[in-house]
Amino acid sequence: MLMRGAGFYKLIGAAAMLLLLCGRASFALEDDFAKIRRESAGIKTLRADFVQKKFMKILSKPLASEGRFYYEAPDCLRWEYFKPLKSLVIVRKNQVKRYLYSEGKMIEDRTGGAPAMKMVLNEVAGWMSGRFDQNPSFKATFHRKANPVITLVPADKNMSGFVEKIEITLAGSHGVVKSVKIFEGPDNFTQINFVRVQTNTPIDPAVFQDVP
Amino acid sequence: MKKPFLFLLPVFLLACQSLPAMNPAGQERFACPSPFPKEPSRWVHSIESRMPGHQRSSVIGITAIEPATQTVSCAVMTPEGVVLFEAEDGPQGLQVKRALPPFDLSDVAKNMIADIRMIFLAPPGALEGKGFLPNGAAACRYRDEKGEWTDVVREGPTDNVQIRRYSPAGVLKRQVRLRDKKKNFYQRVELQADEIYPYSLEMKLLDVRLLNKPPKHSKNIN
Repeated sequence: MLMRGAGFYKLIGAAAMLLLLCGRASFALEDDFAKIRRESAGIKTLRADFVQKKFMKILSKPLASEGRFYYEAPDCLRWEYFKPLKSLVIVRKNQVKRYLYSEGKMIEDRTGGAPAMKMVLNEVAGWMSGRFDQNPSFKATFHRKANPVITLVPADKNMSGFVEKIEITLAGSHGVVKSVKIFEGPDNFTQINFVRVQTNTPIDPAVFQDVP
Repeated sequence: MKKPFLFLLPVFLLACQSLPAMNPAGQERFACPSPFPKEPSRWVHSIESRMPGHQRSSVIGITAIEPATQTVSCAVMTPEGVVLFEAEDGPQGLQVKRALPPFDLSDVAKNMIADIRMIFLAPPGALEGKGFLPNGAAACRYRDEKGEWTDVVREGPTDNVQIRRYSPAGVLKRQVRLRDKKKNFYQRVELQADEIYPYSLEMKLLDVRLLNKPPKHSKNIN
């Protein structure tokens, strides 16, 4: 359960990391992941809004969600959904908490989601330190196209039942992330578009504080 | 001497439960409450569940209904978009397409489909009675082939509808309340399951669409 539950957050972490890395990196197509590691060292903070669309056969139109992402090196994350369903994950110094909106306020989710996030943190920490292509959980491939695509395929069979692959499409040679697609099955994928990306701007420490 | 009795008291009380008495409608005529969708439709709800130990969780539920074939399709996903469960139940039987824990337990899937059927489809079985409950609420009573009873009750002046399911012995197992809001009974749905591990669901409508029809006809379809 935890392995599978953590998977999505790994994907989010991957997307966030790519965003983080590519937001500033000017990709030359001959670069390998070593350059990503070099570029990642300069990122101290990142924030972005995101629009997520869920595509499934049962849905006649994709289900849209909106939210915001924050990161502060080395180990603070905030992943928040505003609609249609409010939820929040805060990771700070190895402490992971997930909150759900209920009766007008955020309440901590104690059903097991938070422990799963602890595993994620380890993954994200690896990416943050530039070990993107060295993560044994995924096989990463760089596809050279007009809009380059990075594909992540789970190496762990437990996770492959949870997610088939991730595609990160970059907007041209400058490497800004255009979209992230997370494929859970043939008719089931999630697309996340990041907008209003800001790097290395100050973030209020309260963003990473627990919800009282 | 008293302690064993106290321990057994809930068992006795449970055993003594029975279907509420129903006074026949007589000359007073009324139509049986029928809030259920009559056309193929797809519903998206936020669902907050409450379980013993003050545990709560929130998910998004997608339900597609085809009343003519009695087919339901459903998916449950986390707010982050992870699909935890996807299944279809119809004439071909239950087909689970995806089930992550705890939805991989067969009873969980079966019970969830039963809950969805109870909420969205008219009760199976024959109309066995029509009348008024002791509190004066108008009700219609159905009995299915397993002997289970279902009361569909109009809640007095509010026009809310309650659906109550009883075991063949008359023990209340499930209650659903559909709150009438401009004749869309699925804006807010509450379900209370009285099982060994009781739970409750509160569903709030996010989107509804008629299947195979343009979006502009999507509201107030029941």
